[in-house]
Amino acid sequence: MGLNYQLVLWNKHKKTYDKIIAAGMLLYIILFAATTLIFNSETSIETLVIRAFGSLAIIMLHIILVIGPLARLNTNFLPILYNRRHLGVSMFIAALIHGGFSMFQFHALGDVNPIYSLFTSNMDYGSLTNFPFQVLGFFALLILFIMASTSHDFFLGNLSAKVWKRLHMMVYLAYVLIIAHVFLGAFQQETSPFTIGIMVIGFIVVASLHLTTAFKERKIDNTKTEEKNGWLKVCHISEIEEDRAKIFTVENERVAIFKYNGKLSAIHNVCKHQGGPLGEGKIIDGCITCPWHGYQYLPSNGQSPPPFTEKVATYELMLEDKTVYINPKAFDEGTEVKPCNY
Amino acid sequence: METIITVFLTILGIYFTIGLLFGLYFLFIGATKIDPLMKDTKKNVRVLLFPGIIVTWPFLIGRLFKSKTT
Ligand code: HEM
Ligand code: FES
Repeated sequence: MGLNYQLVLWNKHKKTYDKIIAAGMLLYIILFAATTLIFNSETSIETLVIRAFGSLAIIMLHIILVIGPLARLNTNFLPILYNRRHLGVSMFIAALIHGGFSMFQFHALGDVNPIYSLFTSNMDYGSLTNFPFQVLGFFALLILFIMASTSHDFFLGNLSAKVWKRLHMMVYLAYVLIIAHVFLGAFQQETSPFTIGIMVIGFIVVASLHLTTAFKERKIDNTKTEEKNGWLKVCHISEIEEDRAKIFTVENERVAIFKYNGKLSAIHNVCKHQGGPLGEGKIIDGCITCPWHGYQYLPSNGQSPPPFTEKVATYELMLEDKTVYINPKAFDEGTEVKPCNY
Repeated sequence: METIITVFLTILGIYFTIGLLFGLYFLFIGATKIDPLMKDTKKNVRVLLFPGIIVTWPFLIGRLFKSKTT
């Protein structure tokens, strides 16, 4: 949404979040080191680094995986969602330190190529309890690298949103690989109950949150409505908060109906940037602002304010006895529609 | 098993080597052809994009060819 690419699209919140991320990571490493040294003082420093950064990465991965569903269930989490990409890149760096140190400690000192050594030093691929679990970590790290390195908006535009989304959906594959990496590793190393605990509780939380949101969205899509001369009944006007929207499904398309300044406007719910749910965003400076990365659209015509050129479809609304009705037929993207006054 | 591993790692190595070479060309010459926003993009941003270009070069080569024919 700019005229050239910037290192990072900074705003003042993002800088604060990045500081919180960095401070949080540092604090975790210090605490981890301190507790290990107190309770397990014979641990070598390499092992300490490997475990500290491995468990840090997995904690961060869980946070990343729950932000999406949390933000959809409760809008208070939206600000964290804006910053998820930075969290992802930071998590990759933690995982890289973990993987890099392991490679160095276990595979770099011989005379074979360390990566070759990683794959071949334990050839027990048929075994469960002695499976070369580090190989799984390697593939997970490769996926995290693909995601971190393509996180910039340049790739979103030039790989096409579809390819980009597919690449980034691989995070779930990475998650599965890491679960296997930790649990199969636990047969061979004395993986701490702490890490195992994080994995088990983390998995339950991630899975149940994803199921809850999926269920909730199914419900939105399946709600039956009354029809009146071709207009569909949406809701009572008091059900929409000021500067916020209600998401409503017409003809299998989700529509966001916004209430602002004594007016009502409806636009297609899907952001042109990456398909973010516009109806979960709010009106900022007179523009509908996408909750994911802040793309903006004018409510009356679905167009991004100049010099930007994004456009989404608009819909016509009608108000009767304080009840909102919508015309199910979408207008072309960027069509001006007179807002409904109340 | 060992052959599979050797073949796999060789392919992976070749993939990244091509990516590296293509990346150097793409970053400073090719990218501007498919993305007008790149024209005014600074060097430090380009370096940030480099690893991603190494990874996704098959897609980007496709884009380059498409932009040449149109
Ligand atoms: C090249 C890639 C990787 C290698 C070589 C590797 C290697 C290892 C090794 C040797 C251990 C056992 C450490 C010990 O307990 O002494 C381990 C454990 C672990 N790894 Fe990895 N790993 C890699 C990638 C990853 C990735 C990408 C993640 C997650 C984001 C990860 C998360 C963990 C966790 C959570 C543990 C358990 C730590 C503990 O014992 O408390 N690993 N890994
Ligand atoms: S999806 Fe990125 S701003 Fe809407």
